[in-house]
This record gives sequence, C-alpha cells and structure tokens, in this order.
Amino acid sequence: MNETEHDRWRDELSAYLLGALEPGEAADLERHVAGCEECREELRWLRPAVQVLPETVESVEPPAELRARLLEQVRSEAKGSEAASGSRQATPRRQWLRLRPLAGLAAVALIAAAVGAYAISDGGSEGGGATTVVSGHSPDVTAQMVRQGETGTLRLANLHPLPRGKVLQAWVRRGTRVVSAKALFEPNSDGTATATIDNMDGVNTVMVTTEPRGGSTQPTSAPIVSVPMPN
Amino acid sequence: MKIRTGKAERLADEELMPRIGEKDPDAFEVFYDRHGGVAYSLAYRIVGERGAAEDVVQEAFISIWRSGARYDRARGSVRSWMLGIVRNRAIDFLRSKAGRAPKLDFDDDAILEHRPAEERTDAEALRRETAHELRGALGELPGDQSKVIELAYFGGFSHSEIAAMLGVPLGTVKGRMRLGLEKIRGELAEGLA
Repeated sequence: MNETEHDRWRDELSAYLLGALEPGEAADLERHVAGCEECREELRWLRPAVQVLPETVESVEPPAELRARLLEQVRSEAKGSEAASGSRQATPRRQWLRLRPLAGLAAVALIAAAVGAYAISDGGSEGGGATTVVSGHSPDVTAQMVRQGETGTLRLANLHPLPRGKVLQAWVRRGTRVVSAKALFEPNSDGTATATIDNMDGVNTVMVTTEPRGGSTQPTSAPIVSVPMPN
Repeated sequence: MKIRTGKAERLADEELMPRIGEKDPDAFEVFYDRHGGVAYSLAYRIVGERGAAEDVVQEAFISIWRSGARYDRARGSVRSWMLGIVRNRAIDFLRSKAGRAPKLDFDDDAILEHRPAEERTDAEALRRETAHELRGALGELPGDQSKVIELAYFGGFSHSEIAAMLGVPLGTVKGRMRLGLEKIRGELAEGLA
C-alpha cells in the first residue's frame, strides 16, 4: 500500500472513533484496519481521547424518581413474574406515567354538557368524610372529579392521542392563582386517563392542559377540560 | 446467588455484571448508583431535555439489566460499554426527533470492541483524571476543532453532514477531527502515552 492511500485511511480513524463515518465507510475502514498494524496502533492510541469525552460534560444530578423507577422495574422483573416474561421492552418514563384504564369506567355515567356535583355516602370505605363527585366536560373530553377528603381523582374520557413530546398536566385554581397539581399523565389507548390531585384544599377549579414533556411551571395552552369544584 | 447491596458495593464493575446477568437487583442498584450520574449527564448533554434524558437513561440501564450476562470483561471496561449504550440511544433520539434516519442501531455488543488488555488499563487510568482537567483539555482546543468533535460525538452528525453544515470540504472536517483528538490525547496523562 502506498503512503498516500495509507494516509487517507489514517484521516478516517478519528471520524471512525467519533462515530462520524457512515456505516459503509466504517465497514471499509474496519476491513483495512484488520490488516494494518499501523492503523490498529493509531486507533489504540487515539481511542482514550474519545473515551474521555463523556467525562467532560457538566455534571447534572439525575432525578430521584428515575432511580426509583429503574429499581422498581428491575426488582419486579427479578421476581421472575409472568408479567416480566410477557414484556421484553423497557418501560420508558412516558409509559410508566400512563395510568391503567379505569375498571368499569364505561359504566360510569359521565354527565356531558352539564356540570353537577353531589355528595354520596362514604359507605363502609376507610378514611371517613364525604365523597364529592363532580362531572364536567369540554367539547370533546368528558371529566369526572372524585374528591375524598383532601385527595382528588380526576378521570378523563374521550381523550385524543397526544402529539409526540406532549403530556397532559393537571392544574388547580385557588381564587385567581393557578398552580400545577404536579400530575403529568398521558391518555390510555382507549382515550381514558386518571390523575391524582393530592391537595384539594381551597381548590375552585381543576384544569388539564397539554404541555411539553416534562411539564410546565405555568399553563402554556388552553385547558382541554375544566372542572369547577363546589365550595 | 443473590448478594446483598452491602456486599455488592465492594465488588468491581466487572464483578457486578455477572450478578446483574443473574438478575440480582442489589448488584444493579450499586451499578446505577456508581454510573447513573455520568450516564444522565451525558444523556442530558446530548438530548438537552431532562425528560428525554430520563427516557434515554432508563432505556439504556434496562437494556444493561437485560443483557448484563452478555458483557464480556475481556472486551472493554464496563463504564465505557455503558456510556456507549447511553450515547447510542441519545443520538438515536436526536436523529429521530430531527427526522434524520437513525445512524446507529441498538446492537450493544457492537460497543464491545475487541481491545487489548493494556488498552483497558489505559481507560481505567483515564477515569482518574478529574472532569475539570478533561474539560480543560477539550476547552483548550481551537474552536474549529472542538466544534467538529462536539458535533460528531454529542450531536451524532456524520462527517459529511458536518461538512455541509459548516460549509467546508469533507477533508477539512476529517483533518480537524484528527488534530483535535490528537491534541486531547496529548493532553492526557503522559503515562498513558
């Protein structure tokens, strides 16, 4: 091999190590390197310069929830459950946030084109206190808000699939102040979804907007549903 | 055989991987606690969104959890293997988001390139360099060299894409990559040369 051709290959080595060659080019280079001791040595020498690149990035603390989700998933799979063997795909954050369809939701009479509230007997359930059920709607989405004590459960139906990179975010309004209910969720495949509102104290309205993945600090779109709460 | 987290903490990465291959969650927990930070930092550096970085790291670590038994300690350090997986997924996310065809696949075994034992020693020694010093080595590069390196490694662009982006000949891009990497390599501990 003449010097010029060898130099050409040597110029490819850095691009190869940086993953910047097209697949066909990388395969050609690998064939050359297999028979070229000089290039193998050059690769061996240069490779640490690429290996340190990930170590140069600014440190960003991963959220504790990520660790919790990962450990929850691996411990679940470690138990050798049948569920683990039935699903070989990683559960991304967006699926993890997706809540299971509500059992029997279809049987729930959601009131469309009207808003009403009523108190029902708490029956024998634990926790005490009356349960308030409020139904609301938007032109397309049907909502039911169930409040028990300070906790609320928002149940939505007739939701459309979200655009890529979007999530639903729940908000609560107290007087004129609107704050995030810290509930990000996505519709299930049947168009239903639920979200839990932890602190319903003083809430006048529960709203849901479509927000960029990761949520927003304040609503950036018009509510797709708004459920007034009785005081 | 299941081991407790306390014992797992005393194991080297290469010793943890067989445990992970045996589906030991305590070994995985130790592994994540050691490398989750740099993995997330790398993913965030590439994708630029916290939510997407979480997805990338979660998918990468679940892949490792499920393929831990396939790790071959004779073929590279665990940390480099792990970071390669994270980068692959992050770059794929970027390319998908930009409507570019994925250039990389998820063949994590491909990251386990054959390398001689002395090279692994190099890699382990490099980890002892502080991140600050390493950033310094990258920061000292001429801007045109650091730019092509960052576009390739953190942006997932091919050399031809970079050439078109910067409006310079392909050979210029390759030359800048080579000069930049050679300079970084030269800045690393002399004992590794």
